[in-house]
Amino acid sequence: MSIAIVGTGQTVHARRRTDVSQAGLAREAVIEALADAGLTMDDIDSVIVASGPAMFGAVNQPEKWLVDALGARYKPLVRVTSGGGTGLAGALAAINQINGGSARRVLVVAYDKLSEGALQASISTLYDPFWGREFAVGIMGFAAAYWHARIEKLGHTEEAAALVAVKNRRQAMANPKAHVRREVTVDEVMASRPLCWPIKLLDVPPISDGACAVIFAAGGDAEAITDRPAWIHGMTYYSEADNGADRSMLQSEPLQIAAAKVYKQAGITNPFRQFDVAEVQEPYTCFELSYYEGLGLCPEGGAAELIESGETAMGGSLPVNPSGGCMGANPIGATALIRLAEAAMQVTGKAGDHQVVGAERALVQAGGGWANLRGVAAVGAEKR
Amino acid sequence: MKGETMTTTDAPTASDEMESLAAQLRMPYTLTPGWATGIFLAELGRHRLIGSRHGDTISVPAQDFSGTSGEPTEGLVEVAPVGALQGFTTTADGTLGLVLIDGTDIPMIHRLLDFDSETLQIGARVEAVWSDKPVGSMLDLAGFALASSSESFSPRAVPGDLLPPVLQVDYSMTLDYQHAYGPYYGTLFNAVKYDRRLRGVTCTKCARVLLPPRAMCDVCFAPTSQWVDIDAVGTVQASSIVHIEFIGQRMKPPYVYSEIVLDGTSTRLIHMIGDVDAEDAKTAATPGARVRAVWSDRRTGSLTDIDYFKLIP
Ligand SMILES: [Zn+2]
Repeated sequence: MSIAIVGTGQTVHARRRTDVSQAGLAREAVIEALADAGLTMDDIDSVIVASGPAMFGAVNQPEKWLVDALGARYKPLVRVTSGGGTGLAGALAAINQINGGSARRVLVVAYDKLSEGALQASISTLYDPFWGREFAVGIMGFAAAYWHARIEKLGHTEEAAALVAVKNRRQAMANPKAHVRREVTVDEVMASRPLCWPIKLLDVPPISDGACAVIFAAGGDAEAITDRPAWIHGMTYYSEADNGADRSMLQSEPLQIAAAKVYKQAGITNPFRQFDVAEVQEPYTCFELSYYEGLGLCPEGGAAELIESGETAMGGSLPVNPSGGCMGANPIGATALIRLAEAAMQVTGKAGDHQVVGAERALVQAGGGWANLRGVAAVGAEKR
Repeated sequence: MKGETMTTTDAPTASDEMESLAAQLRMPYTLTPGWATGIFLAELGRHRLIGSRHGDTISVPAQDFSGTSGEPTEGLVEVAPVGALQGFTTTADGTLGLVLIDGTDIPMIHRLLDFDSETLQIGARVEAVWSDKPVGSMLDLAGFALASSSESFSPRAVPGDLLPPVLQVDYSMTLDYQHAYGPYYGTLFNAVKYDRRLRGVTCTKCARVLLPPRAMCDVCFAPTSQWVDIDAVGTVQASSIVHIEFIGQRMKPPYVYSEIVLDGTSTRLIHMIGDVDAEDAKTAATPGARVRAVWSDRRTGSLTDIDYFKLIP
């Protein structure tokens, strides 16, 4: 079945939003998405709330709290959570509901209000309590460790990662929803304070309060709602055994599997040439380099050369993260859905100052953990 | 390496001492009540109850959005701190009541104070009891007690001198867990605690040694069958140098976070490399470096029985 995105909305993301509760934050994105689609809550068949671990905000089952603020009383409503990729997992749930015939118009709202809790300590609880949690440094110690391995084996140097920071922070300047808008240089990134070496302060995105909402509709409904639907050409989400035998963690197998499946769904044989724009979820700069390889945009070990070529910057042949990616704002539970929303904005010409001119096909990547959970989606202007 | 045969249907049993691992999570929070509830909290300190109007409905505590429509509140009202008891329950820690404040439509839950539970009745008239030391939290309203008069009140316009909303409510959770070791972790950590050795299991199909031990191989999905003793010596697969400080951290930075593949195994052990300068570690504690466990004097039955891993020169 053809399914499209017919409306998107995002909050004004910030380091700390003291003016709204968690429920009020989520509502703000929903109001904007409904307005974008020209719909009201009466038009919505089903609601999916996507948010990070309950430990982030000390509210278990936050969807119960959100129902009132969303005007979602008496509607089907479920919460989806899946680490960093939560927002895309929520989107996939919406698509499955439409494909399964239980709903025609589904609202997904994804959020996190990260200013409210202790982020790294919360993330450390994703470790097995018997196996490594005592030594966990959120996801940062782990990610830094495997970036270190990639530096040695794949040439993902600190300088190459610094170029990701420079690119994404520059691109965030043109995104009105980004709350960090400050350009940096490679030298500044390299000289910034080490947090978990090789990860340094400027390799790391902000910690944000923010929400994103996306409305999905079945083909006929989508065309009735808008003359510019963003069609879903493919979407999937994969996981891997974290401590399975012989995992080098140099590449993310779930990402490779997810990309292959989506490219098949979307009829993509050469992603670097066929996509006009990509939005990827880079919790640290080093992640974007690994995605280039996992998504097949360059050969293994080719990521440093690709970022150095400038082809993934605005004006290049495949701009990656015109929005600035996570470097502009990173409300974790919402971040993956923001990538999808930005991709939809690109292929419908709604991306404003960070529009890639003429973009018709967009690639989306999201996920959680260093290599464990990976989602990929393709979005296009053409009905498919 | 020496091995002893074991079948997966005949699961190992942990000794009595190894039933569960006690773990505690302590998490601080800075919660955001939002505008209407923020004003409600601020005004408690002045012994006022502030509600919110949503069409014909009045909610107290004040809410930003209507529970029926999701629309923003049309405005705030002041309600008298008296009402009627709609329900209650008594626990070891006291009595909780559902109190319908006069003129409002949704009961609020709070503590009932100074009640004789024998004579407590649904429908009883109650009034607010205020805390002597307001801090900007719900407990500035200490609870409700039997009302001294039966007079009832109607909501009225809010006073002109409303306080700005409380923007942040400090909160914390302390969560205690007892994680069951189960037969595999039980056997491993028994060996760690009493014999200072590590034990893994072998996959019946691919023959890889898995640590921590488990019932099935994650790659082949074949059962595992044989215990194998493992020396606490291995090779660094990945490492980073921790400088960041955060809540719940066990040791003072800098230190080296490390994922280590012990000799003969195919999986990762997560630990720290110690006894190395943070700057030297960039080149010395690098992937491929050889390390050996330094056992602790503690015997806890966890990975912290190893103090750290030390580089083998
Ligand atoms: Zn196997």
